[in-house]
Amino acid sequence: MQIAKIILASHGTKGAIAAENHALDMANDYGASLHQLLVVPDFWKGMMGDDWLNNAVTQIRFGKYVENQLAAETAEEITRVEDMAKSRGIAYSHHITLGKPEECLIDACSSNSYDIAIIGSPRPKNVSGYRSRMKLDPLTRALNIRLLIIPYPKP
Amino acid sequence: MVYTKKHPALLIMGVLFLGVAFLTSSGALDGLHGFLHNKKYLGEVVGMGYAFGLIGVFVGAWHMWGSHEEGNLDYYLSTVAGAMFILLIAMLIRWYAAPLVAVISKSFGPVMGDKHIHKVLGLNYVVLGILAGIVVVNAFRIPHWAENGVRLSRLGLKTGVILLGTLYSFAELQQLGKLSVIMVGFFVLGSVGLVLMLGRMRNIPNSMCGVLSAGMGVCGVSATVAAAPVVQAKSVEIAYTIGTILLWGVGCMFLFPVVGHVLGLGHIQFGAWAGTGILNSAQVAGAALAYQPDGIETLKVAEIFNITRVLFLPIIVMWLAIWYVKREGEAASGKINVGKVVFEKFPVFVLGFILMFALSSTGAFAPPNHYKGKYFDNTKVKASKMLTDEQVGKLTAEADKLQRADRKEALARLLENKKIMSLEDDAAIRGLVNARIMSKANNKILKKAHKAVRHTAKMVKKFRQWITLLFAFGLTGLGMQITFSAIRQAGGQPLIIGGIVGTVKAVLSLLVILLFVSETI
Repeated sequence: MQIAKIILASHGTKGAIAAENHALDMANDYGASLHQLLVVPDFWKGMMGDDWLNNAVTQIRFGKYVENQLAAETAEEITRVEDMAKSRGIAYSHHITLGKPEECLIDACSSNSYDIAIIGSPRPKNVSGYRSRMKLDPLTRALNIRLLIIPYPKP
Repeated sequence: MVYTKKHPALLIMGVLFLGVAFLTSSGALDGLHGFLHNKKYLGEVVGMGYAFGLIGVFVGAWHMWGSHEEGNLDYYLSTVAGAMFILLIAMLIRWYAAPLVAVISKSFGPVMGDKHIHKVLGLNYVVLGILAGIVVVNAFRIPHWAENGVRLSRLGLKTGVILLGTLYSFAELQQLGKLSVIMVGFFVLGSVGLVLMLGRMRNIPNSMCGVLSAGMGVCGVSATVAAAPVVQAKSVEIAYTIGTILLWGVGCMFLFPVVGHVLGLGHIQFGAWAGTGILNSAQVAGAALAYQPDGIETLKVAEIFNITRVLFLPIIVMWLAIWYVKREGEAASGKINVGKVVFEKFPVFVLGFILMFALSSTGAFAPPNHYKGKYFDNTKVKASKMLTDEQVGKLTAEADKLQRADRKEALARLLENKKIMSLEDDAAIRGLVNARIMSKANNKILKKAHKAVRHTAKMVKKFRQWITLLFAFGLTGLGMQITFSAIRQAGGQPLIIGGIVGTVKAVLSLLVILLFVSETI
């Protein structure tokens, strides 16, 4: 099996970190490059909900605040994976996008020639975090490359 | 950037409005209207159908074939498509879908006393409009040509509240204001305090505690939006909090009217309860209109509570800012500018409400001789408007249901004179109607007696109509901004603490209202 380009969909959860470690090992073993796709879930678009009492200044301030928060969180994630890749001499690139995780991964895979996509497993029910999951059914139907799902790490 | 989209949707909606208006005015839809029992809306269907139809056709034609250049005109006219989209959904529901639901519901017969299932569940045009909005955004997404205008729903609601100012008397505002300040003050401060206490007990971060306490205490998502940057909430904390509040708010909007009907709450009691117990201010208005779709008394009470809550918002945000800085010390960034916080968070539309109330109090919207002499001068009231002997008999038969002295006396004077004799008696009789102590038929007689001595000025009647339409428009549009993906974020500690505090607030406020709030206002 030839693997020259790996795409990793990760966003810092435990399951994603397991996928990151596996992707880094694989890139190392095969001498492949690693592309990280970080999806900011699109539910944030509806996070102002049905607020109608605030004036525009307050709403804009909230929007900017949330945007900055998300930007800082994604930057932290990118730097973390990039540092690990650099320390192992792996060619690394990344892409941040807003949308539904599976749609973004399908888009990324169809617009570039990756050999394999690596993702983590959904977190167990009692673990907290965003409710924004990679939907496997549409993903596996549309994906044109191999997909590797790394098991959720045991506690 | 050019905002206008070259799309035929607005033109089509305009033609649809015109078509409905034409078919209605020509009598072609008489059979349908007879079946739906919606004849009270016919004037509205024709008037609004032609007016909005023409606007849709003209602006729609400009959208399609006009030349669009960047600027204010392009921006403002681009919003018409979205606004018309909300309006079309809201009006089709008001004129046709809600009456159809009522017809179907009536076919099942009464389920609670003499109430049918749609009354008990509050399935009227407002709730159905919000539901339709939620379905549109979650099942189909907002069409790209409508995105810009959907935000106008907020303007619709704020305008509705401003116009609502015309409907209060000074006495009403004084009494409702006092009641709301006491209730909201106690329950807002109580819930904020309870969340902060529970947060400390459960060892959750200060930022999460701060943003959750604002949302649970004051006015739901609006308070969360205002407080999140102040307490430097993390994104996951914001998501949890807003999800929890939306879930709770939408649930309460359906649950509160059912409980209200089961307990037989009067309009003032229900308005006060919804205004205190429901977290999200949009759903307060929704629940009030769900409870009383054909009148505005419950909405009037609920909105005074909403206004009081929003006036508390700058105070709570300031409190949380000081609390956060104290607890986080150097980790908290920046100093608190009290003046800036209050100025920025002050709800300017409340000034519009006060202005309209002031204008209404001066008699600007009623002719000078509007209420003259009808209470004590029998010659001013036509004989046909006085109570008949049969009606007197019916009221007398139920007179022993009354317990309060003022109501008993007012009713006795009404029975003796066959008309209401003073302002005080009128207030007592209106309270009696709102409390729904007598049978439906007798309440109708009492309402007629009230109308015989006091009827609403034409201009105020128009305001009343516009207020209902603006709220229907605004709430349908806000429904389009409630996404399941946002609600799904409800979870973590905010869901547990929010659940506890929300339940305590709803139950305690209901008890207080049952014990202390009567229908005299």
